Amino acid sequence: MNVTLAVKQYISKMIESSGPGMKVLLMDKETTSIVSVVYTQSEILQKEVYLFERIDSQNRDNMKHLKAICFLRPTKENVEHLIQELRRPKYSVYFIYFSNVISKSEIKVLAEADEQEVVAEVQEFYGDFIAVNPHLFSLNIQGVSRGRSWEPSVLPRVTQGLTSVLLALKKCPMIRYQLSSDMSKRLAESVKQIITKEYELFDFRKTEVPPLLLILDRSDDAITPLLNQWTYQAMVHELLGLNNNRIDLSRVPGISKDLREVVLSAENDEFYANNLYLNFGEIGTNIKNLMEDFQKKKPKDQQKLESISDMKAFVDNYPQFKKMSGTVSKHVTVVGELSRLVSERQLMEVSEVEQELACQSDHSNAQQSLRRLLQNPRLSEIDAVRLVMLYALRYEKHSSSILPSLMEELNRKGVSERHRKMVQSMVEYGGKRVRGSDLIAPTDAVAITKQFFKGLKGVENVYTQHQPLLHDTLDQLIKGRLKDSQFPYLGPSSLRDRPQDIIVFIIGGATYEEAFTVYNLNRTMPGVRIILGGTAIHNTKSFLEEVTLAVGSGGDRTQGRGRPQSRR
Amino acid sequence: MASIYAPSLEDSAEVKEGFLCPLCLKDLQSFYQLQGHYEEEHSGDNRHVSGQLKSLVQKAKKAKDKLLKRDGDERTDGGYESFYYGGVDPYMWEPQELGATRSHLDSFKKQRAARIDHYVIEVNKCIIRLEKLTSFDRTSMDGAQIRSLEKSVVSWVNDQDVPFCPDCGGKFNIRNRRHHCRLCGSIMCRKCTEFLPLPMAYKLTSGSREALWAPGQTGSPGPVTQQTLRRGSITSISSVTSVLEEKDEDRVRCCHHCMDALLRYQRKLEEKDHVPDIVKLYERLRTCMEKVEAKAPEYTRMAESLNAGETAFSLENAAGLRMEIQKYYELIDVLSKKILTLGLKDELQPHPKALQLQRMVRYTATLFIQEKLLGLTSLPTKEKHEELKEKRREELEKRAQQERQTGLEAQKRRLENEKNRPALSTNGDVPAPRMTKAAGWLPQSDTLHTRSELDDPLLQQINNIESFLRQARSANRSDEVAMLEENLRQLQDEFDAQQTSRAIRLSQRLAEETDLQQSQIQHLQQRELEHRTHTTTSSDLGDTSQRREDEEDERSSGSTHLSGNSPPPPDTHTPARNPFEELEEKPTNSQTANGKKQYNPFEDEDDEEEEDTGNAKSPRNPFEEDCEDGNPFREVSAESPAASNNPFDDEEDEDDTIEEELLLQQIDNIRAYIFDAKLSGRSDEVELLSENLKELQRTLHEQKRKK
Repeated sequence: MNVTLAVKQYISKMIESSGPGMKVLLMDKETTSIVSVVYTQSEILQKEVYLFERIDSQNRDNMKHLKAICFLRPTKENVEHLIQELRRPKYSVYFIYFSNVISKSEIKVLAEADEQEVVAEVQEFYGDFIAVNPHLFSLNIQGVSRGRSWEPSVLPRVTQGLTSVLLALKKCPMIRYQLSSDMSKRLAESVKQIITKEYELFDFRKTEVPPLLLILDRSDDAITPLLNQWTYQAMVHELLGLNNNRIDLSRVPGISKDLREVVLSAENDEFYANNLYLNFGEIGTNIKNLMEDFQKKKPKDQQKLESISDMKAFVDNYPQFKKMSGTVSKHVTVVGELSRLVSERQLMEVSEVEQELACQSDHSNAQQSLRRLLQNPRLSEIDAVRLVMLYALRYEKHSSSILPSLMEELNRKGVSERHRKMVQSMVEYGGKRVRGSDLIAPTDAVAITKQFFKGLKGVENVYTQHQPLLHDTLDQLIKGRLKDSQFPYLGPSSLRDRPQDIIVFIIGGATYEEAFTVYNLNRTMPGVRIILGGTAIHNTKSFLEEVTLAVGSGGDRTQGRGRPQSRR
Repeated sequence: MASIYAPSLEDSAEVKEGFLCPLCLKDLQSFYQLQGHYEEEHSGDNRHVSGQLKSLVQKAKKAKDKLLKRDGDERTDGGYESFYYGGVDPYMWEPQELGATRSHLDSFKKQRAARIDHYVIEVNKCIIRLEKLTSFDRTSMDGAQIRSLEKSVVSWVNDQDVPFCPDCGGKFNIRNRRHHCRLCGSIMCRKCTEFLPLPMAYKLTSGSREALWAPGQTGSPGPVTQQTLRRGSITSISSVTSVLEEKDEDRVRCCHHCMDALLRYQRKLEEKDHVPDIVKLYERLRTCMEKVEAKAPEYTRMAESLNAGETAFSLENAAGLRMEIQKYYELIDVLSKKILTLGLKDELQPHPKALQLQRMVRYTATLFIQEKLLGLTSLPTKEKHEELKEKRREELEKRAQQERQTGLEAQKRRLENEKNRPALSTNGDVPAPRMTKAAGWLPQSDTLHTRSELDDPLLQQINNIESFLRQARSANRSDEVAMLEENLRQLQDEFDAQQTSRAIRLSQRLAEETDLQQSQIQHLQQRELEHRTHTTTSSDLGDTSQRREDEEDERSSGSTHLSGNSPPPPDTHTPARNPFEELEEKPTNSQTANGKKQYNPFEDEDDEEEEDTGNAKSPRNPFEEDCEDGNPFREVSAESPAASNNPFDDEEDEDDTIEEELLLQQIDNIRAYIFDAKLSGRSDEVELLSENLKELQRTLHEQKRKK
């Protein structure tokens, strides 16, 4: 149930079975991301893979002394490229791995192209997803929906991605989906269809309790991706943008050359692995400790290196020191930039109001603080918009809604029309009419008392009160209380026992806050393993784009792009 | 009962092994002791598995982090889920098998085979025909002759059957004439004709690469340039006839299908035999890396053991191995550098991708060296090693003593048990396997106490059992006898093992000491040879006796050196005699007590030495004479400690050289780092490093000057 490991194992198996010798890895755009998320360059270099090439790259020389490992998605274009490659092979041997099911006819075409007998292996290795964390995968697809239904070209890709996860983990699950979302149902059926069609592939060792695939729709919880985040990973994504575990820091003022783009991978960065889910305050302390540790290890001055033993110690420590210095400078830069953004955009204040809107139900209080904050001239455009969106979602049907006057306020603030329109789009996307579950007002008595107790206890951290809806859904699922009426099973059979292995997939994208929730559930729930996936991993910005694409007010998007964003 | 194992859990920090009680983790010396202990301490309480699990869980809580990893497996047992507070960090999820895969290779191969067979046959046909076509001398024949020969190789397609050129579709007429491919006999127009130059034909047919053209030519396949294209030219009849008459003297006309097939075949041939330089270098690089990977763990083991003061490996061997590994590192460095600069000096720069490949190989090699070389633990110097050895020996002795003591205690307890057991067995309470229902019979174990205390508990035990045995025999209890005999045998085995191990330890120490003395004696001998004050016989005699005395001295742990440190007093014999007596007493004592012969390292030597001392008693005593001389011995005495220290001195010299090597190696390392840092453009680091480099070089110079 570890998606990172699954992909890693596939890739190392590919490399191993090609035997010794210099190798080149031939990939397409997507598989490049898939590989680069789980392996660092130096790791893969140790396996004698020295070159990484795109199959569609024209600038490749004949290198007959190299073995080629092709890891490709089974798309038409790739097959075509491969045919060309095999007709005029540039490398001595080809080991071909497709990341998903490939048709017999395409195999035939390829076989006919291989006149020089350079192909030594043709296999399907189902690594057709981006393994972000061991329990989190993404398909990196934006704009999955058109209105309330699938963008036609996307559904097959999402189906492929999701089935490849199942195959990589060797799970043949029962499927539950969110009834209120037609897209969920379509995807569930589509996955089921593949499982039925490729029944031989899905013939795994039966476990006592069959695994469960739960398909959800983002529109059920549009609030979570709108909130500012305070755990390290989520915060980095929200404020700087994590793309395949990489951050682009080139826009940070005064950044040094080798920190333009940094990799944050828990696999190779111990500090990151340990701090991924800690909040901003804790990270500050840890960074300080890291620095101190580093200062200790750092060779003080040349004077200190007088004796040979000093030098010996220096040399002995050097690689470690170097590695550490890389880690230190990276995290110091990232955290520094985060705190700069936090103070510049006054995110503490913003977050407080956001959390109040999301978690409390006191309308008058909420609208007061919201109005006050909107008066603040330093409030950035995107923050203003997201606050109003939160209000619009939260108090959509409230009798004394002040939404019109808030919109007015936005207009006065000079918020672009594109952004103002998005408020309406957001309500359309995730408003009450759409939602299947009770995102906001818990109706059953238990939930209300819970809320009540929460209120009594006082909240320990104002900025992290919010629990995503996913937490409740999964909690109920694990306890066997998730209603069949809301989340029906596909097909006649249903699970009797408590589920053990759960794969949750969110159409329209997951968030790192939800990943954190799932991580915590995994850690606290005995006997349960949960994996979260989404068509993408969203931050507010990408989520707004997703919504815009979905609702279809895409016409004025280009116009909005032209305006300088207040974010930076 | 919990109190019994709870505290022992607290201090179970160190790893214990051997005969551990599963419940309280007490270390017991032997199986019997363990059994005894278990019956005594734990037989009463009906402790079921959950108790043990509880203790496990307690431990798990203590070492939570470590055990988290295992938890996944444990949880599937489902037994004590309740003890565990929660789930597992996804980062700790247990390893999983490789995901699903599906191979298409079979169907791929099947599809390909059909195609390839066809292709291979075509090529082979072409080659065979080509061979025939080139087997005759073209220059000495006229066109018609050649043509008939060519026709005999492959039947030409009938002209009438082909009105249009099958390749370009041009209509054949008087101007656009038909041509035949000499390899397949098909027809094409002039434009679509290709020519296979004869040298290439020879090369293809000979199959041997030696007959190839000069390397410069290989790149450009000749036929294209040689092809005469008179496209669209309206030619006169004469020119037509000239074309007709055209003799393909140095080339073979063929269609471009055949040409393609042959060209491809040729390329394949070339590639098969051609090994680029980078591959050769790379292969050597890999073998070096593999060697390092094979040897480094061995070395690390050695170094660790030496650093711990163990004597399982010799320091010299380890140093040798270290040198060997370092050699490989150098080789890796050199080879990868060579790969990096491959082709850079050529006029035609290699393809950027090739350069990238070279850079990557070099980078990997650097990474490899950095990671592995710096992981090499350094060896202790010889002095340090001696120290470590000494320390370890002390520790071992201490532990051995401790063990012996605990063993003794346990033994005593067991003895008491043994004593009580027969009495108990009448009740059937203790189903002791070695005692059958021995109603009324009791071995008189009282004798045990009357006997003098033996130093070894095992010996005591053996004696006890022997007496039991005797009694049992006299009582005619054959089953008992068998049991006891078995018991006795086991005990004796164990005793033997203990004795041999002790003997080995002793002899090891002895060997070390004699080594030391040998060097001293050698030194003395040298001295003596120099001075030549005595007759050879007497000096020999003196020497041997001296050595004997030396050894005696060492063994009796007397601190005064008779020969070296002080001039021996005239009546050397009496003190020399003493140690023997001492020595003799002890072993005989234990021997008689054992009642059986045991291996004694001293014994044989004792006898010999006695004889030797007899010799030493001979009236002509070399010591006295030496004494008279006085002076030389004084010198000796002044120098002898130095002499005895000689090996250490040697080492110190060696150490210096090692240090120098280290320095050089470090300089190399730092250079590599500088290179690395420069590459990635960290100028501040470069500065720091070059400063260090200078420093190192200076120290190196100084050291050289000192010499």
